[in-house]
Amino acid sequence: MNLLKNAIINATKNILRNKLINLLCLGIISFTLLIYGIFTYISTNLNIITKEFSKSIEAIFYFKDNVDIQEIEHLLEKIRQNLLVEHVTFNSKKQAEINFSQQFPELKYILSEFNESPFPSSMEIRFKPEYDLDTKINSILDEIEKMNIIDSKQINLEWAKKIMTIKKFITIVGLFLSSILLFVSIFIIYNVIKLNILYRKDEIHILKLVGATNWYIKFPFIIEGALLGLFGSIMAGIILYGLLKLFPSYANFIFNLIKGVITVEVIPASLFIRLIILGTGIGLFSSLFSTQHFLKN
Amino acid sequence: MIEFYHVSKQYVKNQFALNDINLSIEKGEFIFLTGSSGAGKTTLLKLIFKEQHPTKGQILIDSVNINLIPNKKLYKLRRSIGIVFQDFKLLSKRTIHENVAIPLIIRGERKSTLDKQVHSALSLVGLTHRRNYIPEHVSGGEQQRVAIARAIVGNPKIIIADEPTGNLDTELSIEILKIFERINSNGITMIIATHDKNLIKIFPKRVIRLEKGRLISDWSKEELL
Repeated sequence: MNLLKNAIINATKNILRNKLINLLCLGIISFTLLIYGIFTYISTNLNIITKEFSKSIEAIFYFKDNVDIQEIEHLLEKIRQNLLVEHVTFNSKKQAEINFSQQFPELKYILSEFNESPFPSSMEIRFKPEYDLDTKINSILDEIEKMNIIDSKQINLEWAKKIMTIKKFITIVGLFLSSILLFVSIFIIYNVIKLNILYRKDEIHILKLVGATNWYIKFPFIIEGALLGLFGSIMAGIILYGLLKLFPSYANFIFNLIKGVITVEVIPASLFIRLIILGTGIGLFSSLFSTQHFLKN
Repeated sequence: MIEFYHVSKQYVKNQFALNDINLSIEKGEFIFLTGSSGAGKTTLLKLIFKEQHPTKGQILIDSVNINLIPNKKLYKLRRSIGIVFQDFKLLSKRTIHENVAIPLIIRGERKSTLDKQVHSALSLVGLTHRRNYIPEHVSGGEQQRVAIARAIVGNPKIIIADEPTGNLDTELSIEILKIFERINSNGITMIIATHDKNLIKIFPKRVIRLEKGRLISDWSKEELL
């Protein structure tokens, strides 16, 4: 307990002693996590929007004329067995004619001019709500469309697909930028710890000579890295919160897009916790790496 | 207790810092290690607390071959040895009390035990009244006494001092040597490296003389007298 207390005290003293360099380090960690936070936030919101709108994905496939009914039934059976599908309804040409007559009674007379129903037979597929466009639904839809008994399809969720594409693009850009900045952060913390080790070279020498264990010497530096990461992530969280609160034009963009549909917190607690875990992790990893390198036995 | 068997040390190829040293030091002995600059005194001391490793030969402390102690366990050896340097090696921003307490802090000693032991170590060197000073606010002689207090506070079996009086005048040097004698009277083995012939005359002890890395004489206290 005493050793842990000493390590925390020494780590805090180190941070306060080299204010400028540690401030720079904090700035870089915060910036990295801020970029990660912004992209994650946008991506999460887009995900929520898409999910909300695509809760009940429905697709209608129209069959070609003169398709063997057995072939259709075989396909329907196959689709029903799919775990993603909630239900499939088949509408024969006759049923389509009845439906039209019921929906548009004033246009019913048009149908009398045809010998047989002018409408194609179709099937309506409704997918289970827990699956969204991100899942295999897309590939199922594509597979059905390619079948030679299918004439055309109608899916009213094309725009949701586009949002998903944008979301994927934002996630990739965010991950790319965050990864680069992550390496920069690790490099900076690694070097800050290295500088502190060099600064305390004499003290480390004395500690070794009086019988300090390697861990006793390394521990304050590791704690220092973790503290830098922790403070950096808290700063990033606060800045992100401030950005979303204080810049109404930006926030309006997000909220107008989803207004009346769903409510999104300004900064979800889970994102804040993720930032803290990530920041502390980066700090820990970098300082461990640095002490392993510069405080060899 | 401390045994050297054919110990050699080379920092550079074909240049011996120590050459085939055979030596035995009994528990509780007081030894002066002397010789001119570059004779190998510091190297010999560094081999005892394993800051350097011998190129050849074996060093045994309490029958344990210290060459075989892994780095992870080295702290155990270091805790049994108190070291005093010519340049004191004190932490300039910590108080005298904190400096002396370091060997106990790293062992995770409780504050009450720590305060008691630091107080008795500072009493032995006569510095209790300076406990809250920082090293640069006390004299050179007092700084050396702080270093001695730090060396003894952890109850070591051996104390090694490398030119402990090198930066002090004769009067202060005698004072420091008297403290060492007091510590030695408690059964602690003392190995003092010095080139000060006057001190050796004033304090007749066993004298081991090194020259160019070789042990050229080993006179007991009786032989000197």
